[in-house]
Amino acid sequence: MTDTNVMYPRKPKRITGRSIAVLVFLSMAAMFFCVPLYVLIVTSFKEMDQIREGAMFSLPTKWTLEAWHFAWFEACSGLNCSGLRAGFWNSVVILVPSLTASIALSMVTGYALALWDVKWAGPFLFVLFLCAFVPFQIIMYPLIRLTVTMGIYGSTTAIAFVHTVLAMPILTLIFRNFYKDIPPELIKAAIMDSGSFWRIFVEIILPMSGNILIVVLILQITSIWNDYLIGVTFGGLGTKPMTVHLANMVTVSTGTVSYNVNMAAALLTAIPPLVIYFVLGKFFVQGIAAGAIKG
Amino acid sequence: MKFMKITASAALLLGTSAPTAQAEDLVVYQTWSSPAEVAALKVLNEAVSAEGINWIDITIPHNTGSSVSLLNLVVGGQPPNIFSENNTGVFRDLTEMGLGRDLTEAFTETGAIDHFSDAVLKAITVDGEIRQMPLGVHIDGMVYYNMEVAAAAGVDPTSWTSLDDMMADFDAVTAAGYVPLAVGAQQWQIGYLTHALMGTLAGPELYAGVYGEVPDPAAFDSAEVRSVFEWLRKFQQAADDGSVNRDWNMTTNNVISGQALMQIHGDWMKGEWRAAGKEPGVDFGCIPIPGYKAVVVTVDGWGALGGQPEATDAAMMRFAQIVTDPTVNADFANVKGATPVRNDVPTDGIDNCAQRVLELLEDSSRQVNNPSVTVDSDWQNAIWEVAFNFWSDPDMSVDDAIASLHSQHDIILN
Repeated sequence: MTDTNVMYPRKPKRITGRSIAVLVFLSMAAMFFCVPLYVLIVTSFKEMDQIREGAMFSLPTKWTLEAWHFAWFEACSGLNCSGLRAGFWNSVVILVPSLTASIALSMVTGYALALWDVKWAGPFLFVLFLCAFVPFQIIMYPLIRLTVTMGIYGSTTAIAFVHTVLAMPILTLIFRNFYKDIPPELIKAAIMDSGSFWRIFVEIILPMSGNILIVVLILQITSIWNDYLIGVTFGGLGTKPMTVHLANMVTVSTGTVSYNVNMAAALLTAIPPLVIYFVLGKFFVQGIAAGAIKG
Repeated sequence: MKFMKITASAALLLGTSAPTAQAEDLVVYQTWSSPAEVAALKVLNEAVSAEGINWIDITIPHNTGSSVSLLNLVVGGQPPNIFSENNTGVFRDLTEMGLGRDLTEAFTETGAIDHFSDAVLKAITVDGEIRQMPLGVHIDGMVYYNMEVAAAAGVDPTSWTSLDDMMADFDAVTAAGYVPLAVGAQQWQIGYLTHALMGTLAGPELYAGVYGEVPDPAAFDSAEVRSVFEWLRKFQQAADDGSVNRDWNMTTNNVISGQALMQIHGDWMKGEWRAAGKEPGVDFGCIPIPGYKAVVVTVDGWGALGGQPEATDAAMMRFAQIVTDPTVNADFANVKGATPVRNDVPTDGIDNCAQRVLELLEDSSRQVNNPSVTVDSDWQNAIWEVAFNFWSDPDMSVDDAIASLHSQHDIILN
């Protein structure tokens, strides 16, 4: 934040007991995340010989990118030894349709529920609200049967379908709560100007949705990218997302463990959502402040 | 050289059976991804693809034993042809769905069935039918020790004939500045140590009383079962401070790096030693737990799917026969760090430790199976919990532990 953004003059700060307490708490919270992250990062640059000695917090005696290279290009998931990159592209292929379908569908539904006179809108919202709290695991088997009947089980389409269905309740509620703050007069005037449902959506609503779109985008990219269970359950041969490849590398019962490769792989898998946060983080805060999620 | 061996054996196999006319796709569902495991998979893949079987790999980790992903594939109508599974319940479920496949005939045809040891046969049999193709054997409780440390402390593990002998040397090891016994105190590791000690101290009959299909509560009160808990307590008191919640492989590394003399754990420890560039018989030694009455055997096995078209079914049967071929099996076991499942494999490539295990397996009266083959999973979890609570709470007496075994048994199995 630059000074021009300060809305009112502030008194020069004095160090008080309270601010010290806040600082201590914040540093503890930061440590809570940063210490494991530190171990993750230094381990990924170490050689296995050094890791075997223990001393988790020491810096690498010899910095090496070998583990990163191995994780990306050579690591095996069963017989397929092409590294994490195979999973990376699968994840991208899953992400794009899941993201588009889930956001488009919930956005239109939210818009209709908030601004148009929909019959049974109240009960419908209530049901959506309930659905937002149903854990996926409970409906997993029925969903498998459903996708089999639809003939899409074991494909990227099935994964995108399930992501869309599962994200729908919460996303619709978010969009609906955002749009309901739009003055009804605006819509009435637009209808008078012979605007149709879709024309109003495209020409008026969409341009106003920037902030909330960023919020939903971040939520969805994170949840779809980090998803393991849906990918492993509904994906077929060769469509397993990056998280499944990661789990194959890391989950070892009686084999040997390469901690440096595991750490590098975990970081590689976490990079895309992290980048999204860094790029869009500022808008994310604005979007929340704009009254969307606080409902 | 290894490749030559495989091609040679594949050529042999080709000669003895009618070659398949057409490449047959088999979906293989398995759980292995670590370097040694992948190398072992490649041995199998090369052998089966030489006979025109096209291996389509699907790898999903499931070390929890719940097999959810496998059942999802079955429910989804896309069950794999060959699958890694050792839970008898799953095999019974598949039979009920009409997807069971008995492999007895395939192994009788090649004569492999006569070369499986008793523990292997028992592990792969469900309700009288052979349902798994065995791949490798592990012993759940072996003593792996650092030979350099043993020499420095002036002790000779091979001279121990009982746990008391072993314990008597602990002071010498401690005095020399080493931890005598490295333990990873996690629930499953203590659970494994418990059943390994049960085999060692109580022998096959009482072992069956605790880990059998129908446990016998009277066995819990025997002096032998009590002594298992007494030894657990002694080990717990000898454990170093870092043992709490330490992974087995980090524990192995304590032994490899010479901080501790030995570890008692499953013999997959060998993989970790090998990965650190150490040789069996040179850098580290392996012995069964001193004074053992029975060793506990784990068998890695894969099942085959029933109700398939004829050509697929024939390919699956060939698959089962190929992977249990003596040469293929020996190569597989060497690469993976396991012990071959057959007693007639060529011994040239087999290391000291696997050789020792093959000798142990010759005596069928002194081997028992890993509990997961026979035991109700709730009961196994209960035993693990009792053992781990006992380990973690020094105030808990052996009587308390036996009493909670009884009460868990009443709740779960009555």
